Amino acid sequence: MNSFRILPVIENRVLGPYNLIRIEDEDMHQQAKCGHFVMVGITTSIDPFLLRPFSFLSIEEDSFTLLIKARGRGTEKLSKVKEGEKLKILGPLGEPIKPPERGVLIAGGIGIAPLYYQSQWMNQGILFYGAKKESALVLKEEIKERGFIVNTITEDREGKVTDLVSENLDLLKGEKIFICGPESMIKELKDIIGDYAKEAFVYMERRMGCGLGGCKSCAVKTDSGYKYVCQEGPIFSLSEVKVD
Amino acid sequence: MIDLSVSFNGIELKNPVILASGVWDLPYTEIIDFNELGGVVYKSVSLRPREGNPPPRLTETPCGVINSIGLANKGVDSFNKEILPRLKKFDTAIFVNIFGETIEEFSRISQMIVDVSGIEVNISCPNVRKGGVSFGREPETAFQVTKAVCENSDLPVIVKLTPAASNIVEVAEACLKAGASAVTAVNTFQGLAIDIESGEPLFKNVVGGVSGPAIKPQALYNVYQISRNLEVPIIGSGGITNFKDVLEYFIAGATAIQLGSAIFNNPLAPIEIIDNIIKYMKDNGYRNLKELRKYIDE
Repeated sequence: MNSFRILPVIENRVLGPYNLIRIEDEDMHQQAKCGHFVMVGITTSIDPFLLRPFSFLSIEEDSFTLLIKARGRGTEKLSKVKEGEKLKILGPLGEPIKPPERGVLIAGGIGIAPLYYQSQWMNQGILFYGAKKESALVLKEEIKERGFIVNTITEDREGKVTDLVSENLDLLKGEKIFICGPESMIKELKDIIGDYAKEAFVYMERRMGCGLGGCKSCAVKTDSGYKYVCQEGPIFSLSEVKVD
Repeated sequence: MIDLSVSFNGIELKNPVILASGVWDLPYTEIIDFNELGGVVYKSVSLRPREGNPPPRLTETPCGVINSIGLANKGVDSFNKEILPRLKKFDTAIFVNIFGETIEEFSRISQMIVDVSGIEVNISCPNVRKGGVSFGREPETAFQVTKAVCENSDLPVIVKLTPAASNIVEVAEACLKAGASAVTAVNTFQGLAIDIESGEPLFKNVVGGVSGPAIKPQALYNVYQISRNLEVPIIGSGGITNFKDVLEYFIAGATAIQLGSAIFNNPLAPIEIIDNIIKYMKDNGYRNLKELRKYIDE
């Protein structure tokens, strides 16, 4: 069930290069499932005009948390919200999935957010996790505590997460794989993984207007024409998406 | 009791707030109570399904949005079978925006649209190679398209005008002569977004359509020009986000208004605007829109 509400921020703290923003809400834990996302906006603002889509990082009984990286006009403002400030929240949106009990997660940078959320339903698995530098490898210890084997790599020293996956291809055999990261990473993984994945899925990101299938902005090219991240996504099968 | 109803040339609305074409689809019915709305215009349908433009299709500009969607839709058959029956459940006037690449296509679609409150003719989309804005720039082509639709449909016909018209008053006049019941003024403004990283236009189609509060003064001026020069019902559209904007459009000469991009910023904007119009009229002792308009016209 979609809903639109005005909700207060109860925490904004820095986590590596990101901001972790917790929003008070007693309903979300009953509404949201794995794969869902929300659209978020500053309450009184018509500039930035659009709400921004974010995956859940976590959902508690009294709140939910988003991981935000200030990289544009919208995220700059959102990353500076103060405790008590109210936000426009639309959601949960998208098509949820039933996460498997075990599998392989591949995260690039802030792509860790939805995979961290997903990992809470999984009993065991492997995480391949790459970021620009060590301080950006947030939440890796927490995922380890959830029973995951965690392999990390940083670009400033060793290389990219795609290198890490290439070196460990045998670990992917027969596993369900979930990917979230920049489009260039998705494109490379499509080539690297090939037939190794029984089933590989990818969290896609797009500029979004409405989040409700109205504006047809968030198109992803697939084998069967354009699909929309807000309605048919954000999770797609890796084999169906076409990335440039 | 406040009466918000408006009627003009065969179109009857219980209030003047219409949800514009291109910004909503059925999932919005879970957020907005469509029974509260004066009307809704379903996004452009074409004779055959259209894929739309390659992504990216949307970007933000200060106080607005630029889109290059390219009229992605599943075609008129899908509208009739899957969409219309579900919209008919709501107590609101249903309009459908139609798009054709040729005048012949407009004629054929017009025959296939029945059982709605009216047709809105799209001669103003900037994001397609054929049709769209190219029909809306000049009075002659606008006349031909409108005439084709009117000849092939018994429904009231509204023409959605482009601000890129050579002379919007002349184009509106041509539509009226061809049989239009009203005009929607205006569709998006043509604009450009540049990706400084690639050094190229952001959209593959180069041009995009600008909407949102960024275009309100320009759109409002178009409405004013038409209303001061022509006797035609105008549905004002462009950058409206609150009830004060609506009053400005009424003062500029609009009979009703459409809300588009506003729902991206605040999905409840249509309902809040209706509530605020009622409150404003109560506070000022107006019983209906005629009284409000009389005050405005004086």
